[in-house]
Amino acid sequence: MSEQDGPPLHPLERKVLEALKGRDWVDFDSVVRDSGLIPDQVRRAVSWLSSKGLIGVQEKTVRELSLKGEPAELLLMQRIGQAGLPMETVRGSFGSNQEFAAALGNARSAGWIEVSQKDGQPFVAPRDRKTAERYETFVASLRGKAIPEDQIAAEYRDYIERLVSRDMAKVDETRSVSLRITTSGDDAISRAASAGWIERITPEVTAKIRLSGTSPKLRPIDVSAAAPGFYAGRRHPVKEFINEVREVYLSMGFVEIAGDSVQPSFWNFDALFTPQDHPARELQDTFYVKGGRDESIQRTGVVAKVASVHESGGATGSKGWRYSWNVEEARRLVLRTHNTALTIRATQESGDREMRVFSVGRVYRNESLDYKHLAELHQMEGVVIGEGLNLRHLMGVLTRFYAKLGMSGVKLWPSFFPYTEPSMQVMVYYEKVGRWLEMGGSGVFRPEVTEPLGVKKPVIAWGCGLERLLMLRLGVQDIRELYNSNLDWLRRRRDIASTQDIL
Amino acid sequence: MPVLKIYFSRFQKMTGLTRETIVDRLPFLGLDIEGEDADAIRIEYNPNRADFSTDYGIARALLGLVGKELGPPEYHVRKGRFSVRVSSSVAHVRPYISCAAATGLRMEDETIRQLISMQEDLHNGIARRRKKAAIGLHNMDVLKPPLSYECRPATFEFTPLGSDRKMSIRQVLGETETGIAYGHILEKAKGYPILSDSAGTVLSLPPIINGSATKVDTSTKNLLVDVTSTDRRIGDEALAIICAALSDAGATVESVEVEYTGERVVTPDLSPTTMKFDETLAKKMVGLDLDHSEMVACLGRSRLGLDKQGYAIIPRYRVDILHPVDLAEEVAIGYGLDKIQPLYPPSKEPGSLDMTNSGLDRISESVAMAGFTETMNFDLVDATSLYSRFSRSPDLRIEVENPRTIEHSILRDSIVPSLMAALARNVQAAYPQRIYEVGRVFLRDGERIAERPRLAALSAHSGSSYSEAKMYLEALLLTHTGEPPQTRPAEHWAFAEGRTAEVFVRGKSVGYIGEVRPSAVAAFGLDVPVSGFEIDLATLH
Repeated sequence: MSEQDGPPLHPLERKVLEALKGRDWVDFDSVVRDSGLIPDQVRRAVSWLSSKGLIGVQEKTVRELSLKGEPAELLLMQRIGQAGLPMETVRGSFGSNQEFAAALGNARSAGWIEVSQKDGQPFVAPRDRKTAERYETFVASLRGKAIPEDQIAAEYRDYIERLVSRDMAKVDETRSVSLRITTSGDDAISRAASAGWIERITPEVTAKIRLSGTSPKLRPIDVSAAAPGFYAGRRHPVKEFINEVREVYLSMGFVEIAGDSVQPSFWNFDALFTPQDHPARELQDTFYVKGGRDESIQRTGVVAKVASVHESGGATGSKGWRYSWNVEEARRLVLRTHNTALTIRATQESGDREMRVFSVGRVYRNESLDYKHLAELHQMEGVVIGEGLNLRHLMGVLTRFYAKLGMSGVKLWPSFFPYTEPSMQVMVYYEKVGRWLEMGGSGVFRPEVTEPLGVKKPVIAWGCGLERLLMLRLGVQDIRELYNSNLDWLRRRRDIASTQDIL
Repeated sequence: MPVLKIYFSRFQKMTGLTRETIVDRLPFLGLDIEGEDADAIRIEYNPNRADFSTDYGIARALLGLVGKELGPPEYHVRKGRFSVRVSSSVAHVRPYISCAAATGLRMEDETIRQLISMQEDLHNGIARRRKKAAIGLHNMDVLKPPLSYECRPATFEFTPLGSDRKMSIRQVLGETETGIAYGHILEKAKGYPILSDSAGTVLSLPPIINGSATKVDTSTKNLLVDVTSTDRRIGDEALAIICAALSDAGATVESVEVEYTGERVVTPDLSPTTMKFDETLAKKMVGLDLDHSEMVACLGRSRLGLDKQGYAIIPRYRVDILHPVDLAEEVAIGYGLDKIQPLYPPSKEPGSLDMTNSGLDRISESVAMAGFTETMNFDLVDATSLYSRFSRSPDLRIEVENPRTIEHSILRDSIVPSLMAALARNVQAAYPQRIYEVGRVFLRDGERIAERPRLAALSAHSGSSYSEAKMYLEALLLTHTGEPPQTRPAEHWAFAEGRTAEVFVRGKSVGYIGEVRPSAVAAFGLDVPVSGFEIDLATLH
């Protein structure tokens, strides 16, 4: 578009300009009628056109007088005619005495009638019929339509106040808009006609192009105008992050495993050398399924070995927890409190072969919900089975893992878990806030854990929360926001892949 | 986890360390710093380290870690003048008692506070909420030996701590705070254990409450400690931890003779225990090439010793050491975890992703591509959204025991109610709203639970209809099964009569589709039609 082409015209603008072309001031309603548009479209076009100086807009406030009721004194004048009537006869023409009194009073004070005595009765006779007739003419002009105040002849002006004050008429103010095309408007419409702009491609247009080889131009549009609202389909940020974590583990040679949320206590606790009276197994921390049990847990094979490790250390050289182990307790169904319930089974199934596995999934804690606690959250657990693995390797794996997620440092502090020794808390450095954050637990599986499963090689293991890291990436302060399905947020938030640089 | 408050002025006097060193090194003992102010620090410790229940125990370990005091601290027990006669009547309820005396104490307010906090932590930790053991601290000077430990009837009266009048045991159990909290431990007992002296002064009704007469305060110079238990080992361990702290507080620990029927025992035993130290195991586990003397130095910083026969010398208060691997960890802690360098073990084989997870992810991706917003909802839901709002019977519900909130008390057997609840929370957001979840549902299978992966999707807006839902479902199933599904008229609790169909793929039922029942839409507070489907993804392939 070259500069002398001027601003492009929208089809609505063009229609309005055409309705105004060659005319003086045109009122709004006429433009609506002549353009074939609806009032709202005309209003939009008028606002664009006037801002471009292509039309002039005149707004006027019009006061219009309209009749609300019929003045009763005119009825009285009509009834008494030329000759007059006895008052009692006139009274009979009115619905109520009150109305009659008003009519009589008004006609008398206007000097239209006189009341005298005739045959001993009050008698009403016209006195100034001419004035009354003028009034009647004015009122008649108002019947059925409103009249602009400034169009009312000077001689009738007095009547306006008389009618309005007696609530027989009212004055309404209305805004009226008139439009007139400017010379630039004339230019614009003639340019638009000669430019040969088309609105959109149609089969007719393409046929013409193919035939003539011409290349019509699409009408330029306002490219900064707002588009209609739309939201694309989205994945959930937790799922996006889980996939990122899965990719990281995959790149480090890990095999992913998955499994049920509901586990027999045996795999969630007993196999992990957690004594049956351990506080973590109590109802206030852990969800047990009411009436649920797994009868396949029998005190034979692995289960028997685990039981004797609890009771006396079994064949491990440990003192054990020294209590009487109960198979019923191990059968209770629990909502897994960690995914180690899954990785420990993979450890058993490994047959002491070297292996690295991970699982990312939901874990359950009997918690009241607040800004930092949920009853259901996600953890990423991993184990590596390998000859000669030690603490340094555990640190090595965790450092590599968190580096790939963008965290610059990992350190370990001593901690305690019944199933690992040494046990360490994983601390990760978060540069943006310049401090170390607690991420989870890690350690080397105790012989009391691995020996009953037939695993002789060292097993390094860890489990870390997922939400905390994700909250930092997304700038979320309250953990509940991740799962309250707030559509405004889910639709507008940044994709996880675009938040790596935040760390 | 238990939390302990430590005052810097007192702790610095005990250790001679600067505040900076204290704050910097405590985490390397496994202690989490919860909070810090001008005067004090709040630390959280793992309950397996019961010896960390006082500042004395922490000072002991910290002095080792920084190298100021090495090796196992020694504790001596002087022969005392007290004895306890144990009646066989306690055998069925709380058969064991271990006692010690601590003389020459200077009790400051803070010492008393530390002792009480230790007592509480031990009760909740190794004593398993007083079930296995209960501890009593008494003013020894009001007692006339020998003591007697025997069962009494519920009508027996004494003045409990915190009261100014005599109460019967029955009243104590029914009316006092600790009686109500711990009375259940004695529930099935035929009699109630009472520890009293030869003049009839009651020391305690274990594990409920002490007597008022033996109350400890700042004027107390000499203490008598009793630990009754159902497991003698745990009672002895708790007593050893308390005596080590009292000894560190400056007291002389004296023995008490316990006379059971046919057995005499002298408590406390503060001599160290031993365990064969496996030097090779420690080296292998920590991954450091330490020579013998470095190994001994590391153990020493963890306040352990090593004798000539290769046995580790373990102070009696270290009740957490069960196996030689525990000693290996002590070497690592003594060495300093912050000095150990990471070493990444390269992978010998490529990794792989779980096929099921990846398959579910592909389906989820398709639904998002169709324009739906993915939500993640909880597996534990409330009965109102799962049952009442659909006028559905809750008879087959799967409940969890003792949930903290009823909002999370039932394992869901369908995802549609979760999505309806999500729509109900979003009435202010722009329509159309199309949401979905690929998640788990839980179904009863005898005493076990079957878990199924499901996809549910709902579309809510003024023009939502069965036909729209079917359009999306056909597109999705075409993508993932290679053929459009068949739909046959059906009934379903979530969907309206006449606008519900069962969905079949290759003749197999995979789920339901329909317009959500008007009553349910209204019950969730929505004002627009909602249509959608729920498909079992395990039956799809």
